[in-house]
Amino acid sequence: MIVVNGIAKAFGKRGEVKAVAGVTFAAPDGEITGLLGPNGAGKTTLLRILATLIRPDAGAATVDGLDVVRDRFAVRRRIGVLSDARGLYPRLTARENIRYYGALHGLAGGELERRVDDLVHVLGIDGIADRRAQGFSQGERMKVAIARALVHDPHAILLDEPTNGLDIMSTRALRELLRGLRAQGKCLLFSTHVMQEVSALCDRIVILGGGQVVATGTANELVTLAGENALEDAFVRLLGSGEGLAA
Amino acid sequence: MNTRTDATRSDSAFARVIAIAGKETVDTFRDRRTILVMLATSIAAGPVMLMLILNLLASQVDKARELKLPVVGAEHAPALVAFLHRQQVTVSAAPDDYAAQVRNGDLEVVLEIDARFGADVAAGKPGIVRLVFDRSRDRARAAIDQTESLLHAYEREWGRARLLLRGVSPDVAAPLAVERRDLATPQSSGSLVLFLVAYYGLFAAVIGGMAAALDSTAGERERQSLEPLLMTPAAPVELAIGKWLAVVALNALVVLLTLSGFYLTLRFGPLPAVGIPFLFGSAELARFLIVLVPLIMLTPAVLLYVGGRGRTFKEAQSNVSVLLFVVSILPVVQLFLQRKEPAWLTWVPVSGQYALLNRALRGEALPVFLLAQSYVVPVAVTALALLAVARLFAREAILAGRS
Repeated sequence: MIVVNGIAKAFGKRGEVKAVAGVTFAAPDGEITGLLGPNGAGKTTLLRILATLIRPDAGAATVDGLDVVRDRFAVRRRIGVLSDARGLYPRLTARENIRYYGALHGLAGGELERRVDDLVHVLGIDGIADRRAQGFSQGERMKVAIARALVHDPHAILLDEPTNGLDIMSTRALRELLRGLRAQGKCLLFSTHVMQEVSALCDRIVILGGGQVVATGTANELVTLAGENALEDAFVRLLGSGEGLAA
Repeated sequence: MNTRTDATRSDSAFARVIAIAGKETVDTFRDRRTILVMLATSIAAGPVMLMLILNLLASQVDKARELKLPVVGAEHAPALVAFLHRQQVTVSAAPDDYAAQVRNGDLEVVLEIDARFGADVAAGKPGIVRLVFDRSRDRARAAIDQTESLLHAYEREWGRARLLLRGVSPDVAAPLAVERRDLATPQSSGSLVLFLVAYYGLFAAVIGGMAAALDSTAGERERQSLEPLLMTPAAPVELAIGKWLAVVALNALVVLLTLSGFYLTLRFGPLPAVGIPFLFGSAELARFLIVLVPLIMLTPAVLLYVGGRGRTFKEAQSNVSVLLFVVSILPVVQLFLQRKEPAWLTWVPVSGQYALLNRALRGEALPVFLLAQSYVVPVAVTALALLAVARLFAREAILAGRS
């Protein structure tokens, strides 16, 4: 369970760039929560705060009751993050990339190997598991990055635009994986600006605009709220303009 | 379910540091090009330079041994010419334009025997010989010195013979016996070799881990793998120490290879017969390592910091080149400062190590207090640099530079 309460964060010398300005929402276990918003809405900043990478200026956020600032190392053990930056080590094999993160999470020996094998199998990267990451396609890199984020079997999973640059087959496979994780009772939170992702996958949607929550609800609730027929129209209506959608 | 999995996991900072160091080491050794360049420069370059310089020295020594001496007016002093022949000197008649040839460097030294030599000697006056040379030519110096000392030797021999003829002991005319004991062992040409060995050892300790240090910091930022790494339970200081350990191990390996290269070259290499003014045996090898330990630890820490400040590998590289310049120029400055080195120099990183390496090469003992002095600043700076690296990793700005 992720609870975000009045989080604010500004950048720049005098804090003149307000990336997130008082965001409040909750992402319950066993559900997929989508953070939907145009570019620059504050999605990545919010996820970085939840991932304990940056500290909020105001407000608080907890993962399973653990504060993301005060208990950040405990939080790191409970979350798996596919961040915006998802570089692999090109000279290590896929398996070694995953194994490294497992080791940093305190896994070792047979448990670590079993976990890596499981993920390699689930993500369907058996064929490339022992090849160096150097020549991987974008889809292959993404799968390895996801495996790396999940190696310690985290309870809460944060994904920043996970389908960026993926082809249809890979996107479908990723959706299957996320649904499987939801069935295990995990708490999933993912950000996207792609409408289909949200409607295909999310139990609950948080629409962000200009660093604030514009609306929250299921896809149907949002459509009703906006008085529109399609989610995309509802999205535009709720944001009050067509800003960012072209991107 | 989470309590179950958590229970089987260790939360050992030590294990994480080892995992980081292990990964960085594997990563570095997979980078075949960097490793090859590193091995080539560390193993081969030093010994190759050493061979070149020693061969140069040897050719100068050979040249001095086979003295060729053009003589003007050899017929005026046949006894002197015979003496020179006995001393293995190749005597030849000087060409007419010998003065011009000496001036432009074709001839190194010419002996001119005065036409009145025979008459002066017969009259009991000193016979006059002239040496024609150009002192400004370094190459000729050995030939000039050798000719001079041969002439002095002839003079002494002649004088002793005259005294003996008069029933006087030659010792009467030589009340002072000057024996030479040269304590400045590494003389001009020898000190160049000395400098080279110390310099290469020093340089290996500075440059050995450079590529790896920059790759694991600036490279990590550039390929966007730092951000995910910072979301793991590994604390920034653990990352700093783990990466540092890996670079230190590599650095130590490069230093060891470089010094082994020198050791093997000096021991088994086909060296020309030239007096090497120092010893470099296994004892010196061990001393070198002990002297270089502070630098082996210090430079990776500094390089990690400089690397961490760079957004890309290239940017970090250009920052590092400034550092490299300072480090590489210090020993050169020390070499040309002919004065005795001040005592406080042992406190200064790089300079202190260079001074101690020279001591070790001259076969002098390394007092423990001097070694301890040379360790203090590097150890402190290493600790500070590692903390700075950790702070760098903990800064939010390290994620900036991208959208």
